[in-house]
Amino acid sequence: MLEFRTQGFNGYNVKYSPFFDSRIAVAASANFGLVGNGRLYILGLTDRGIVPEKWFDTQDSLYDTAWSEAHENQILAASGDGSIKLFDISLDQYPIQSWSEHAREVFSVHWNLITKDTFLSSSWDGTIKIWSPEQPASLTTLPTHSCTYSAQFSPHAPSVLSAVSSDSHLRIFDLRTPASASNHLTLSIPIHAPPKARPGIAPPIGIPPSEALTHDWNKYRDTIIATAGVDRTIRTFDIRMAGHGPVAVLPGHEYAVRRITWSPHLPDVLLSASYDMTCRVWTDGTAMGHGGGTNGEDPMAYGGGKELGRMGRHTEFVTGVDWCLFGAEGWCASCGWDERILVWDVRAVMGQ
Amino acid sequence: MTSAQSRLTSVMGHLNPDTGGRARLLQKNPDDIVITLAVRTPLTKARKGGLKDTPIDDLLIALLTQVRERLNLDPALVEDVCVGNVLGDGQAYVARSAVLAAGFPIDTATSVANRFCSSGLLAIQTIAGQILAGSIDIGLAVGAESMSTTPDAGAPKMCEKIVNHPIAPQNQMPMGHTSEEVANQFSISRGAMDQFAAESYQKAEKAQKAGWFDDEIVPVTVALKDPNTGEVEQVVVSKDDGIRYGVTAESLGKIRAAFPQWNPSHTTGGNASQITDGAAAVLLMKRSRAQELGQPIVGKFAGSTVVGLEPRVMGIGPTYAIPKLLGKASLTKDDVDVFELNEAFASMGVYCVDKLALDKGKSLIFQLGNLSKEDADSLLAGQVAQLKAHSGIVVQDVVRDAIQLWEALDLQEGVVGSAWNASGGTSRP
Repeated sequence: MLEFRTQGFNGYNVKYSPFFDSRIAVAASANFGLVGNGRLYILGLTDRGIVPEKWFDTQDSLYDTAWSEAHENQILAASGDGSIKLFDISLDQYPIQSWSEHAREVFSVHWNLITKDTFLSSSWDGTIKIWSPEQPASLTTLPTHSCTYSAQFSPHAPSVLSAVSSDSHLRIFDLRTPASASNHLTLSIPIHAPPKARPGIAPPIGIPPSEALTHDWNKYRDTIIATAGVDRTIRTFDIRMAGHGPVAVLPGHEYAVRRITWSPHLPDVLLSASYDMTCRVWTDGTAMGHGGGTNGEDPMAYGGGKELGRMGRHTEFVTGVDWCLFGAEGWCASCGWDERILVWDVRAVMGQ
Repeated sequence: MTSAQSRLTSVMGHLNPDTGGRARLLQKNPDDIVITLAVRTPLTKARKGGLKDTPIDDLLIALLTQVRERLNLDPALVEDVCVGNVLGDGQAYVARSAVLAAGFPIDTATSVANRFCSSGLLAIQTIAGQILAGSIDIGLAVGAESMSTTPDAGAPKMCEKIVNHPIAPQNQMPMGHTSEEVANQFSISRGAMDQFAAESYQKAEKAQKAGWFDDEIVPVTVALKDPNTGEVEQVVVSKDDGIRYGVTAESLGKIRAAFPQWNPSHTTGGNASQITDGAAAVLLMKRSRAQELGQPIVGKFAGSTVVGLEPRVMGIGPTYAIPKLLGKASLTKDDVDVFELNEAFASMGVYCVDKLALDKGKSLIFQLGNLSKEDADSLLAGQVAQLKAHSGIVVQDVVRDAIQLWEALDLQEGVVGSAWNASGGTSRP
């Protein structure tokens, strides 16, 4: 396990470069992101451990970052002042572009993985905005009407994007649909709705809505999305059967889940980071050999998924986790409010 | 709140999500029963107002036609109409026929509901219950009363067993008598009643002048007979006519007692509500259905309850029903932003506000004129408009028999609950 201290700055998210297996970026904020500056760290993974290659300071807190998919030196940062900044890591100090349209904190940024020429942002102001790095103003604004902690382009279809919000809904937008009154919204799935009742099985437990904080598209199954948030529960949904409730329900975290991310290598495995100071690795129960077993006796569990292991080395809220795309399957990086970046091998904690 | 404070509150919310009754009530679930349309006719004075020559069937047709035109839906999607009504002759015949005559297709069924003053509320409860049970998807709850054409003639002759029962014959008491009973038993002074009534008039005056009722009232075209010439002409009735302007406690103090035969004779024409004609309707469906159909969501039905009490003091029902409903919803009085007590008689209003220790700043107490009478539903439509003006939780009640608990989320959406207080019978007006 490798470690780096972001002295004076509490981590909010960590991202591996899509171009280099030895480079990660961390969005961090002074004073737990409540007030004060932000700092975007560019870190190198070397045989001498993790070394800072560069950092950029910002006026306000940073809550998310996303590497450009088109240019290996460019990276976005989502700021608490409502701005989105594009940095070039071959340059010093200042962003090469800054966009200020959001009225409140920007909580997520995400690059279009297919066309690579657009990115999106989501904000506390209840909107998602789509941008081109070449354009000074946003291309499209999609309302969600509630604080949107997480938005992503589909990794499978360039015009499809998704978002989860504090209103406990997963929304799917398709930019190919006409820009009518629905604002490209094609699906709105209540995350808290229980799994569909089936004859002969005790009806699932209904729970109240709660803020959704994170979600991720499965990298292999193009209709599967995982969500998680304040209710401490990870769920997967198949957007072909939006009305059927979750496909899998994975309870276990003891506090809100701040980040989840599907494995780039295995279609059933995902990683979570939580306010309970752990990162956990899960199977959603769809892989061969995992069927039948559920997560202990938890009555909420559904779909046969279970926790495969956990990493408990963080000493504060864990806010970000990301898989390494390259090399041996299973390396990942996590960050948290303990001012630490940990780079570790998921395989080492599985089965523990 | 500063940015840092709101960020801290947000993170704290992630750790300790608010799961109290108010938070639960404010949540939006696909299975919520929501109101997508709420309209009423003007409420006019019985025997004098614009609806005095409109019998119940014409009144229903006038309202239901407006509803059908404002639905923004295929009327065939309305599966059931429940009409709350107390006094209409042959109400089931009239209601079913009026629904058809107003242009609804034969598939749209009809029933009637009667729980005296809270019949309109019972209609809402009936439709909401049917939707919850999965019997129907979309239903219309109506309350309508024509006090002019079918006045309350009091209780019929009842059998020996009732007459000799210690409590049952109380239902034969005229309503005014029950008001005096409350004033007597709880020592409500004439001055307090006049003060309460005057404030109600003043609030209603303010509301009417500010146009708060405009959104909920649909003008209706009805026949009106000139009392002098006997000529009948078609008129458009578009405004409540029972709200007197410039009323003060002093001016009400000069009015003589309406019921000198019953001690303490504090009730007057000024601190009791008028007898009224009018009708109202609300369209109910699940939130998921409303979203599918692109309907505006103006309120949410959050729950209801009923409780009985001695008919002799039926007007103080809210003091039983409000705590019961708040208990069911895990709410406290402080979770509620607005209580609306709608008094039939000021004696009961004064008692309820005192007994429940309601903050007068929160109580919106209107004397709309329908207060005495049975179409409590009209209050409901009124409430939705009120919610638009006052965000927050609203409890409304019709002091005679019915109580409603309302709750508003924001300017776009309200949550509505209704508590029902069946007085265990009722009395004559």
